[in-house]
Amino acid sequence: MKARGTLAAAVASAGILLAGWQAGTQAGGASTLASGSNTTTAGSTGSSGTGTSGAGSSGSGSSGSSGSSGSSGSSGSSGGSSSSGSSGSSGSASSGTATAGTYQGAAVQTRFGAVQVQITVASGKITDVTALHLTDDDRKSIQISNRAAPLLRTEVLAAQSADVQTISGATVTSNAYLTSLQAAIDAANL
Amino acid sequence: MPRTSDPLRLPETGTKLSARTFECMGTVVSVTFADSPAAGQETQDELAAATAVVERLFRELDETFSLYRPASEASRLARGELTLRSASPEMRARYAEAHEWRLLTAGAFSPERPDGVLDLSGLIKGHAIREAGRSLLALGRRDWCLNAGGDILVSGSPVPGSGAAWKAGIVDPADRHSLISGYALGGVGGHAALATSGSAERGEHIWRVDGGSDFAQVTVAAADVVTADILATAIVSGGMAMLNLATEQWDVAVLAVHADGSLLATPAFRRQI
Repeated sequence: MKARGTLAAAVASAGILLAGWQAGTQAGGASTLASGSNTTTAGSTGSSGTGTSGAGSSGSGSSGSSGSSGSSGSSGSSGGSSSSGSSGSSGSASSGTATAGTYQGAAVQTRFGAVQVQITVASGKITDVTALHLTDDDRKSIQISNRAAPLLRTEVLAAQSADVQTISGATVTSNAYLTSLQAAIDAANL
Repeated sequence: MPRTSDPLRLPETGTKLSARTFECMGTVVSVTFADSPAAGQETQDELAAATAVVERLFRELDETFSLYRPASEASRLARGELTLRSASPEMRARYAEAHEWRLLTAGAFSPERPDGVLDLSGLIKGHAIREAGRSLLALGRRDWCLNAGGDILVSGSPVPGSGAAWKAGIVDPADRHSLISGYALGGVGGHAALATSGSAERGEHIWRVDGGSDFAQVTVAAADVVTADILATAIVSGGMAMLNLATEQWDVAVLAVHADGSLLATPAFRRQI
């Protein structure tokens, strides 16, 4: 009786294991897809955004000419719009059939600091994606890696029990809770 | 003088925190709410009602999944009186979720004890916290902190509307009355959950896979509490290889304490200078 139950459980576990494996595979596929679409997003931002560095230098030239022709606009606003206009022209040029060249996306704030992506286009295809800026607020290059590294106790975020609202630790038993820091905090908030 | 940015510093306000606790799953669950200073008796009644919802949720899960209760569905499964095929949808869903975690962690997390008995306790507490959090949000509560035996999920801020993070202290495994570090939870773009596993908790209940680790304690911050809890357990069990897998595959921050007291930490745990 028990043996039969165990066997049935084993068969059922194998079934669920298989289902879990398939779910896992699908999840993996979805995440790969997601990162792919990320790249595409960065690419489209790049082509409609700042444009190539070459266009940037020619952009300053065109901003001068639009500044002279823009008689009605104030100098400040025409300066601002003309610089975006120059990137717009490079964007429209690339929108017909993607022009070969390099395009930079907008800088995006991430947990690791500002990140900017540059794509290289050749024959209408993205051939390379490069992370351009990877800096923190101090403009120092930082590690994007999230790997754990040895730290001294004085190097980790410090906390005083009087300054925290909650405590994490290995699971405390109900008895151990009575003398825990969490119990003291809870008591103070009762 | 430039202000040093201390993510654990809380603005001084008149905000009051109210805590309720109950005992379940062998530990104590704390429910902490942040109220505006004007909160009166009505709010106190709401807190009591919200905590009752959380407590009922924990108790129902414990009654189903506890191996310490001979009459629980988990115990009947363990004794072979019940097959998974005839188990409740809830049991089968958690079993499937646990198996998915086993695959994602390359076996470092396992829903089965070495003797083959199905043991979902490594998942159920995190699941209970996750469900409790959903209930609190459904009740319209935005600023709260749930802590079940050291595993934490937060929402909003301890100072409602301020965007300030909840500050969590992490105990020193060598002296549980002192803190080894802290972490800011919630706030803008921060992790909402923090969980810590120790090799000595509940009499070494984490089974180590071969090679193992010498981590005495591992803390993981993640977007959700089940991920934080399971990865913390998996890293204690799977050691350095699992630690590297976790930091590569998930958006997590990790603080690991070796048996000799030395530390390993991802950049988010590094003090900003």
